[in-house]
Amino acid sequence: MAEPAYTVASDSETTGEEKSSSPFPEIAIGIDIGTSQCSIAFWNGSQVELMKNTRNQKMMRSYVTFKDEIPSGGVSNQLSHEHEMLSGAAIFNVKRLIGRVDTDPVVHASKSLPFLVQTLDIGVRPFIAALVNNVWRSTTPEEVLAIFLVELRAMAETQLKRPIRSAVLTIPVSFSRFQVTRIERACAMAGLHILRLMPEPTAVALLYAQQQQQTVHENMGSGSEKIALIFNMGAGYCDVAVTATAGGVSQIKALAGSAIGGEDLLQNMMHHLMPNSESLFSSHGMNEIKSMALLRVATQDAIHKLSSQNSVQINVDLGTGSKVSKMVTREEFEEVNRKIFEKCETIISQCLHDAKVDTEDLTDVILLGGCSYIPKVRDLVRGICKKEELYKGMNPLEAAVCGAALEGAVTSGISDPFGNLDLLTIQATPLGIGVRADGNNFVPIIPRNTTMPARRDLVFTTVRDNQTEALIIVYEGEGEKVEDNHLLGYFKITGIPPSPKGVPEINVCMDIDASNVLRVLVGVILPGSQHPAIPVMEVRLPTVDDGHGWCAEALHRAYGSTLALETVQKKI
Amino acid sequence: MIDMASASSSLASSFSSSSAFIGSKVILNEIYSQPTRVKFHPLRISAAACTSTAERTRTHHIASSPGSLYEVLGIQMGATFPEIKAAYRRLARVLHPDVATINGQNENTAYEFMKVHEAYETLSDPEKRADYDRTLFRQRRPLSSQFSISGLATTMANSPRPNSGFPGYSTRRGWETDQCW
Repeated sequence: MAEPAYTVASDSETTGEEKSSSPFPEIAIGIDIGTSQCSIAFWNGSQVELMKNTRNQKMMRSYVTFKDEIPSGGVSNQLSHEHEMLSGAAIFNVKRLIGRVDTDPVVHASKSLPFLVQTLDIGVRPFIAALVNNVWRSTTPEEVLAIFLVELRAMAETQLKRPIRSAVLTIPVSFSRFQVTRIERACAMAGLHILRLMPEPTAVALLYAQQQQQTVHENMGSGSEKIALIFNMGAGYCDVAVTATAGGVSQIKALAGSAIGGEDLLQNMMHHLMPNSESLFSSHGMNEIKSMALLRVATQDAIHKLSSQNSVQINVDLGTGSKVSKMVTREEFEEVNRKIFEKCETIISQCLHDAKVDTEDLTDVILLGGCSYIPKVRDLVRGICKKEELYKGMNPLEAAVCGAALEGAVTSGISDPFGNLDLLTIQATPLGIGVRADGNNFVPIIPRNTTMPARRDLVFTTVRDNQTEALIIVYEGEGEKVEDNHLLGYFKITGIPPSPKGVPEINVCMDIDASNVLRVLVGVILPGSQHPAIPVMEVRLPTVDDGHGWCAEALHRAYGSTLALETVQKKI
Repeated sequence: MIDMASASSSLASSFSSSSAFIGSKVILNEIYSQPTRVKFHPLRISAAACTSTAERTRTHHIASSPGSLYEVLGIQMGATFPEIKAAYRRLARVLHPDVATINGQNENTAYEFMKVHEAYETLSDPEKRADYDRTLFRQRRPLSSQFSISGLATTMANSPRPNSGFPGYSTRRGWETDQCW
């Protein structure tokens, strides 16, 4: 599809190498692609600066409209009205669609958006299309993101008057490695080289580390360790991190996240105002799209108002003869979204637990993202963290992109005479990585929240006598059963010397290097021997392509448990 | 891919030499057949001293005679938790691959950083530290599994990964053909 783009990308790779040896290395920019809004920032030589588009906006809407011959995105395109974005011609919320299969509940939730999200529920990528002159024009989330990134890049190049090759992007904590490959692909299509992909709250943690270090410099005090909880809830994702910071080093203690956000609050509210809305809009006719847009805008408006007032009157004529006229209170809004707010609490508690941090150890609680303006969200974060005061030193919408730009400058090797870039983030794995073993179980080898770079191994064995082959099926996630996790890839070990079951030692080693590349190494050893029975396999993951939803099922149908693995009980 | 092939073969060859892949048993014997030496290093604060600490730690590993976890962090056995944390951070600032790349160190410091982090993980956890201290005194095998991991890592770190042959192999994301598109 976009083959030439890769050539461009590999070209930029070499240019990057040459540049870094020159006295003026290229400084990578920071990009925060949000579900709803996006922004771009760069290190201007003394501090991080947010870029503005020609309409003087720092926050640009994340959408691409296909209404004209050449698709245009929220960076350059001027919306005459909010409804224009909801006409069916524009694709948005791609961050909730990218790298997901059509059985994913998040994809299903996107079916009530004005553009087309078609699912066949067989575990393949969903079909998405924009309505242009009464024709559904198909596209992909990667393409939409790439178009948007091209606009961002062009804007940055015009303003900085230099070519932009490298970038640091922020991603949600809950993104699987497969989703990451889709982001990488979109960047490759846009000719951008990804220097780092940072989970959003870890970018914020870096900004926090810098701010704390500056405070230390000013007060000439000692750099005692500060522990902060970062809660970031935007339109599409809710992310939490606990970070320990001292002397410019930010150590990520734990990460937790989920695909819940303002979009869910909005959809629940729309459903509350018009219980049959989903079935009504499912046909995606011209009139239905119009009604849907009207309801969406009115609901969004009401939710914003409920952040500052206790009740709001909604009056909206949906055109097709139906009207919504209702008084909504803040309590009602909170009750309708009770499950979302409970989930937020669970994520925070889990993150604190994983970090082995008590609430009294928290120096600061940082609340960010579009949802941070919602009183209920503020209350629940304050409640769980037992902190009256929230951290005030950051702009809730700009912190993540500023952190990404800082990381961009740091990893580009820029040094600052005032020590403002004397920073380091020690990252942790947001999800566990393991293999299928002991029946249908997911056995993690690198657990969640392991400090990166990391290397761990675990010994498995055969389940049958004279089993000469074994399937290594690699998953990422937290579920106990494999189907609750993301499939990353699979390969077969062959030539295991025939021996009784349980005898061969199959050592599965997983390695995540400094640039977050995952490799799986598998070696087979027979007891008593000091030599590997067969050459070691080294596989770079993920290897799965689209349609990975049914790969695991197909493998199971083809092989059953004949090539299965079992964990070896650790002998002490 | 070229680097993968050579990496595998070097792993396989290091197998036969040290059989590290077998995991805990062999490696533990290797480590603990040597007398456990506990050196007392005074805490150093300056940046220059910091670098020297790191380098000293590195030579230890390359000579494949890893000392105690205290030695890895360059601290005294009775070090306080803030001292342990400070030592960890100081070493991270030198050994973390992100920093090491910028400073133009060609060596792959990822392994050393992992080693330092493992030492820190054990020593910063009061229970694990107490367990470790006991094993240190008795000079017996520790129960934790981390030694098999680091053992395997040793072979990997010592195996010559051809960083130069492939642009940005270890520290930068490359456009690799085997990436799934």
